[in-house]
Amino acid sequence: MSTDTTRSRDSEEATDEETLKRIVDRTPTRLGVGRAGPRPRTDTLLEFRADHGLARDAVLSRVSESFVSELGLVSLRSRAADMDQYLARPDRGRELEAASLERLHEDCKHAPEVQLIVSDGLSSSAVEANVPDLLPALEDGLADHEIDVGTPVFVHFGRVDVMDAVGEELEAECCVILIGERPGLRSAESLSAYLVYGPERGTPTARKSVISNIHDRGLPPVEAGAELVDLIREMIEHEASGIDLREDDREFIEQ
Amino acid sequence: MSDRTTLTSIGVDVGTTTTHTILSRLRVETPPGGSPQIIDREIRHRGTVRETPLLDAETIDVDRVVEFVERELEAAGVTPDAIDTGAVIVTGETARRENAEPLAHQLADDAGQFVAATAGGALEAVLAGRGSGAATRAAKDGTMVANIDVGGGTTNIAIFDGTGLAGSSRREAPVAETRCLDVGGRLVRFDDEGHVTSISPPAREIADVREIPLEVGKRPSVAVLEDLSAAMAELIVDCCVGPPFDSLTRSLWIGTPPEESLPIEAVVKSGGVGRLVASPPDDPFAYGDLGGLLADALATNETVRSWSVLDSAEDIRATVVGAGTETTTLSGRTTSLEPALLPLQNVPVVRVPAIDEATGTDLEEAFRTALARADELYDIGAEDAVSLSVDDVGSLEYRRIGQVAKALAGALEAVPWSLPVVVVTRQNCAKALGQSVRRGTDRPLVVVDELGVDGGDYLDIGEPMAGGESVPVVVKTLAFGE
Repeated sequence: MSTDTTRSRDSEEATDEETLKRIVDRTPTRLGVGRAGPRPRTDTLLEFRADHGLARDAVLSRVSESFVSELGLVSLRSRAADMDQYLARPDRGRELEAASLERLHEDCKHAPEVQLIVSDGLSSSAVEANVPDLLPALEDGLADHEIDVGTPVFVHFGRVDVMDAVGEELEAECCVILIGERPGLRSAESLSAYLVYGPERGTPTARKSVISNIHDRGLPPVEAGAELVDLIREMIEHEASGIDLREDDREFIEQ
Repeated sequence: MSDRTTLTSIGVDVGTTTTHTILSRLRVETPPGGSPQIIDREIRHRGTVRETPLLDAETIDVDRVVEFVERELEAAGVTPDAIDTGAVIVTGETARRENAEPLAHQLADDAGQFVAATAGGALEAVLAGRGSGAATRAAKDGTMVANIDVGGGTTNIAIFDGTGLAGSSRREAPVAETRCLDVGGRLVRFDDEGHVTSISPPAREIADVREIPLEVGKRPSVAVLEDLSAAMAELIVDCCVGPPFDSLTRSLWIGTPPEESLPIEAVVKSGGVGRLVASPPDDPFAYGDLGGLLADALATNETVRSWSVLDSAEDIRATVVGAGTETTTLSGRTTSLEPALLPLQNVPVVRVPAIDEATGTDLEEAFRTALARADELYDIGAEDAVSLSVDDVGSLEYRRIGQVAKALAGALEAVPWSLPVVVVTRQNCAKALGQSVRRGTDRPLVVVDELGVDGGDYLDIGEPMAGGESVPVVVKTLAFGE
């Protein structure tokens, strides 16, 4: 386990201790940790390895089936046969396998305003840590505004763009996918929410919106759920997502 | 990380009878995510205490007060544009908001950096206790300390609860309660020969109920006046130690008497009469009123003698020496706003004490208590808005946010519907909390987060920054004497 407080600092070598402290306090990255000759100190190295271990675990472990059913999600799979294939073939993570496609049509509501999708992506820990607080905040907020929400699904071995396939199949007005982010060495529990209006296979990334850095030391999941409610309302109102939704924010200067 | 600045600040204290200007230099430090703390203060100039100029009983002659202040600045050799911040506090019967704001605007081009506040009896009690050092002593010793501010017209008591704070970093203990009574030294006034020239209604009531002969134009014996003063001293004591309260105490109470007594461990006396307790004048009638005798009666009262009395840091009254302001900061990015309510200025803040473990009715009660305190301290009917500062809502779980929102929505029912309420949280949860509260009420509400604000501070909240939801916030903290 890594903790900020046990990190040894470079204070004995600092010429301006206060400035160093100001810099170090602003970031969770490994600054001012000192050194032993040209190498990191033992503590630093052990922490680094521990954090790397957590990151690997987050990628390699999967969200359990019981977690999926507790949240009341319909369990689906992408075309990736196993973890190795999932990592090597991103294209397979964007499509549902045949049996899942069938289940999608059988078990899920057709043509909802909003289709919610959860996927473990590259961090199962992110999903387990954040989705239980985020999902109810999102669902209740959407219900407040009488927005019609479809049957939420879980996609094993899913990539972000699997929402295009799910949304197109169900003819959803818009899709939200809550997906575990590639772990960093300081946060293995970071979740992102990607959104698309009018989902179709092959929709470019530029037309997708994102709320990222969702975890308890970033944007808390409950707050992210509330923010998603506002963003989804905006998307439905403007019938757009991604840069189409944010066009007004930017000025293009003609040469 | 913390930001430090040095500010030149003025404090203008406009009371019922006197007006006082103080010029100070403040060093303000803002810890990350916290409210500005005044870490050092240096009084550069103490102005002359002058009689408050009035146009009529309720309206201050603003132009003449400004003239006083300008004269003091000149005496101190400071130009008006060198003033960074300030506080204009209007207290007593002239405590009308219409008085404070125009004053601040006339004193500063950028009145935004000023606190313009009015103080009724309860807030005056708190300001007196912060100025006399009672709040600091309570925090330092970890005890419950009462500040008894006996003035000309009223007695304002603030009880500070420092229990459990010994050794903590809090400089001042929070207020547990305020108690105000229509008892003071100037309720009876005399001419040079000792004839009674005026008896104000509370004194009349005390004299009648206690069967003490007192008439305008007559020259009462010293024994009669001593009886009256002793009766007044007893009422002040009763006000501190009760309930139960004497029926006369209840009758002279300003506001609503509390239902439970508090274990007060020490007292500090301040105010004009309070000062006379420590150093009695040679002639008790030197001020043409009952002040000297009331001070005597307090000094000899048996209960008062049994109390552990601490020294007061300020002589006459707690003096506001200025305001430490934090240069504009931004709230968290996800907030819950009603843009039509913004901007808001000089919104008084009450702190909701630790509720991170509270649930159900305890939780709602904590919000209710804080709102009741706001109502007691500020004339909330006349304010533009009132703010609740919540340090820790507990864990940021969905279920927890729902509980807190439900309790908050319930407690807000007691607040006049037209009064906007600003909820400030330290944790990043404004949008979730706001959405959740709105499920229970459709009252005007602003929820902003990632700000640490203390009770007693004042807030200015600007309009949302272009394209976003983050709002600029200025936190203003009152500064008191050394």
